[in-house]
Amino acid sequence: MTILETHHLRKIYGAGETEVRALDGVDLSVEKGEFVAVVGTSGSGKSTLLHMLGGLDHPTSGTVTVDGRDLFSLKDEALTIFRRRKIGFVFQSYNLVPVLNVRENIVLPIQLDGGKPDESYVGEIIETLGLGSKLQNLPGNLSGGQQQRVAIARALVSKPAIILADEPTGNLDSVTSQDVMGLLKVTSEKFTQTIVMITHNEEIAQMADRIVRIEDGRIFPSGGTPGTVCAIPSPERNTPQSSSRDTRG
Amino acid sequence: MIRVANSKCIRHLGRASMNAARGRNIIAILAIALTTVLFTSLFTIALSINDGFQQSNFRQCGGWSHGTFKYLTEEQFGDLKTDPLIREWGLRRFLGMPADIPFHKSHVEVGYSDVTQAHWMYCDPVEGRLPEEGTDEAATDTRVLNLLGVKPELGTKFTVTFQVDGHPTTQTFTLCGWWTYDQAIVASHILIPESRVNAVLEALQVDPSAAADNTGAWNLDVMFQNALHIDRDMEQVLANHGYQSESRAAGDNYIATGVNWGYTGAQLAENIDPATAAAIAAMVLLIIFTGYLIIYNVFQISVTNDIRFYGLLKTIGTTGRQLRRMIRQQAVTLSAAGVPLGLILGWFIGAQLTPIVVARLDGIVSVVSLNPVIFLVSALFSLFTVLLSCRRPGRMAASVPPIEAVRYTEGGTIHRKKRRSSGVSLLSMALANLGRSRGKTIVTVLSLSLAVVLLTVTVTFTNGFDMDKYLANFVSSDFILADAGYFQTGGDAFNSDMAVPQKVIDQVTVQGGIIDGGKVYGLTRAAEEFVDEDYYRSIQSRWNSQEELDRMVSLIERTPDGKMSDHAQLYGMEHFALDRLDVLEGDLSKLYDPGGQYIAAVYNEDDYGRPEMDSHWAQLGDTVTIRYVDEYEYYNPGTGEIYGPYSKVPEGVPWASRATEYRDVNYTVAALVSVPSALSYRYYGSDEFVLNDQTFLRDTGTDTVMLYAFDTTAETNGAMESFLADYTETQNPQFDYESKSTYAVEFDSFRSMFQLCGGILSFIVGLVGVLNFFNAVMTGILTRKREFAVLQSIGMTGSQLKRMLVYEGLLYALGSVAFSLALTLALGPVLNAAMSSMFWFFTYRPTLLPLAIVSPIFALLGITVPLAVYRRAARSTLVERLREAE
Repeated sequence: MTILETHHLRKIYGAGETEVRALDGVDLSVEKGEFVAVVGTSGSGKSTLLHMLGGLDHPTSGTVTVDGRDLFSLKDEALTIFRRRKIGFVFQSYNLVPVLNVRENIVLPIQLDGGKPDESYVGEIIETLGLGSKLQNLPGNLSGGQQQRVAIARALVSKPAIILADEPTGNLDSVTSQDVMGLLKVTSEKFTQTIVMITHNEEIAQMADRIVRIEDGRIFPSGGTPGTVCAIPSPERNTPQSSSRDTRG
Repeated sequence: MIRVANSKCIRHLGRASMNAARGRNIIAILAIALTTVLFTSLFTIALSINDGFQQSNFRQCGGWSHGTFKYLTEEQFGDLKTDPLIREWGLRRFLGMPADIPFHKSHVEVGYSDVTQAHWMYCDPVEGRLPEEGTDEAATDTRVLNLLGVKPELGTKFTVTFQVDGHPTTQTFTLCGWWTYDQAIVASHILIPESRVNAVLEALQVDPSAAADNTGAWNLDVMFQNALHIDRDMEQVLANHGYQSESRAAGDNYIATGVNWGYTGAQLAENIDPATAAAIAAMVLLIIFTGYLIIYNVFQISVTNDIRFYGLLKTIGTTGRQLRRMIRQQAVTLSAAGVPLGLILGWFIGAQLTPIVVARLDGIVSVVSLNPVIFLVSALFSLFTVLLSCRRPGRMAASVPPIEAVRYTEGGTIHRKKRRSSGVSLLSMALANLGRSRGKTIVTVLSLSLAVVLLTVTVTFTNGFDMDKYLANFVSSDFILADAGYFQTGGDAFNSDMAVPQKVIDQVTVQGGIIDGGKVYGLTRAAEEFVDEDYYRSIQSRWNSQEELDRMVSLIERTPDGKMSDHAQLYGMEHFALDRLDVLEGDLSKLYDPGGQYIAAVYNEDDYGRPEMDSHWAQLGDTVTIRYVDEYEYYNPGTGEIYGPYSKVPEGVPWASRATEYRDVNYTVAALVSVPSALSYRYYGSDEFVLNDQTFLRDTGTDTVMLYAFDTTAETNGAMESFLADYTETQNPQFDYESKSTYAVEFDSFRSMFQLCGGILSFIVGLVGVLNFFNAVMTGILTRKREFAVLQSIGMTGSQLKRMLVYEGLLYALGSVAFSLALTLALGPVLNAAMSSMFWFFTYRPTLLPLAIVSPIFALLGITVPLAVYRRAARSTLVERLREAE
């Protein structure tokens, strides 16, 4: 099942001489439970792509469909609500709310939605990410890796259709990076969580199911030519909870 | 240490970072300007009042010369005036004073003044000139001409009858110049040539050196280099020429001196009491603190905002000292814009307020001071406040480690490690956000509360002005009618010329509407009481030196049992007046019996109405002997030689007097009372007693009515007021009146002055508070722009975000209100104690009205300011905001 799909996505900044084509006709589709890495150098348009996918920015033209909804047909308020239900974010700089403790940060999206967190699910996430002993700490007292784990937990908590991770290991040392990547991978598999991660680090990208390269606003399949990129089958995928593994195309 | 010429580079950096923070600059300039406004307006008012006070003191003393050497002979005058200490001098010779109608209500002096002295006495002809020697010319002011019914035209002849050392004389002058009468000046002058003074003295055979009130003597008015130590300078001048002003008895080298007490500089040094000094210091500190609060807040916030920038500068090698210098430099640059603005605005406000304040301060000349000291001191105070305020932010910028600075967010200052609650709501987030930078929150709440507290103090203060208490002290009946002289402070003692005839009382009572009224008779003949020496000394020692006291005691006649005779002052009161006495002990019922042999002893009360129980000797039940004296004989206490009546006493010999013909009457003290000042003699004299009116008439043999006091019905009050105004102005100007409403008006204007000043002060401080609040909210939102973007990206809707911000604003408001309330309640008793001791007519009435009025305003601000600021912040897109830091 295709959970995310873009169609001729274009984002152009400025006009004439100063025109910058940040995205130049991107067509991308991601299947449910897939872990995709978008790799590109700085200025390649990867962040812009992520912002479009998350509905944080409006494209010049084209569409983004998440879980069957065209994001840009939604009004701002509705988009925000859709986002908090269907899209989780993990940022390079963690972006935790400094005045809330770990637990509060994790459940914040649910509480913003007026809902009650599913305690067993939250507990499972916390356990998976190893945050059990830190629940009452404020973010300022956590290491970078710990903060990023909280951010991942926060992204997972509302069972979003997709998690968008923007250079999640950008601020971390290599050991911690491996650690965080491992957790992302584990959660993707354990919770059949679709993840799209952007990074400039090839080594990090290798841990994803599929790698998409982006250059000058256009994407290429790993080592391939411009065009629609399809998923590369991953032989080791093991998602026991998933009932949709056969939807991988 | 290696010296590097980098100051130029630092200056450049400072300028560049300043240019980048335009919004901050505007707020900082406003804050600095407001602080300066506070200083300047207050200094302007204070110095204007001081100047006005000085000016009116000059007018009251009659001039602005530093001092006067009094009652000199012509030789002494010639001798002293050449002293090198004296920068400038003027001559004044007093000749006499007219006292009969039309001059009975005015103080007018006839005499000679040279040009300098005339100028010092404000006698500057607006038309014509001062009189020339050898002519019959005279110059005077418009009041005198008005009283005489003479048109101010040069060449007009006018005639004045006046007393010269007890001898009446009538003189005609030709008007050679006139000036406009100034209400603040007590005395009017008729200036005549010295030749005329001499001629009159000669004609009346008055010798200046022997005249009782020094008529015709030479008075030397002088100006020294400065007014700092007039007293010392005058002593020095006397010493230089072998004179002294200490003791009259020491020989014939005594010269009386007078220092112009109008020079507050000379006065202040002697008179400033610790309480006043403390009050002034507290006021200045409060303003500095208020200014500090806001300027500090602005810089603190701005440094927090720029901390990444400072961290960046540090990573590339800028030292903490240089950062501090940069911040200081910015502060000074901002001051350069804010201070002049504040000076101008503050002076303008001060200048507008001064006349209003002054109008309420009785008899002070309205001047708006342009004293450069105002601007200099205000500017210095502001600059001091600014530098003080940017010290801590500067230290903060200097001390932050560069890498941390790069990652710095406001939350970085959160010192807590854990947070217990696990529920999140918009309200709890708002609350947590205020806790992020506790210092900022406290300062904001504090500055808002300060304004509320100031307002509450003002309102409590002016509300506490108790009209009833005030009136009770001055007024005991709706109206009092008496001779104009009775109401004049510093006028003559009560005498038979000041009686209110029955005819006049009838003219008033016939107007109708009088509910009740009564006469108070005043004593116009000699009466004596007999007191112990100890009591006599205790009373007299207040005004006399030990030496003087001994001399007085030795001269006083004694009874066989050693009691000393002393003057007694008696009242004869009708029931209306008796009703209004304060009975301290005993009861007055026996005094209501016509002709009873009872008496009430009069004790003093202080301003608070507390009786001073040592102010009289007579106790309840005592027998008081009053000696009504018909004749005194005068004698020489040294030789025992008897002269007979006063007129037979030779010049220059010591004398004393004793009663020879008299009648002693015994009374029993039935009550100890105090007489309301409105019904009293209105001057300090001797021990006083109250008698029943009939007893008074019978025993004193006199029937001079001192005053007639009466109440009217509420409906006829106004009619009586206008009748009396007209009656005492035109029909029978020898009389004057006092009414409750005149005091009420005076009281109201006094109160409204404080209301206005306190209101404006509260308003300015309130403005500072609001500015601070605005600043706190704005920076709170701008610094968290990115955080908000994150919150929105993880699903917080715009309306949720706005709601959270409004909660934050409301929490500020709530905090301020709560803190103000606590402060108000805590300060209440202190305020009560302080004000009650300062103002005897103060009654503490706690009020929360200002808080009730201010609370909704704060709530409104708490809602609108965050929304307005957020609108601005939300203009940039989510992605822009998310990216901002990266």
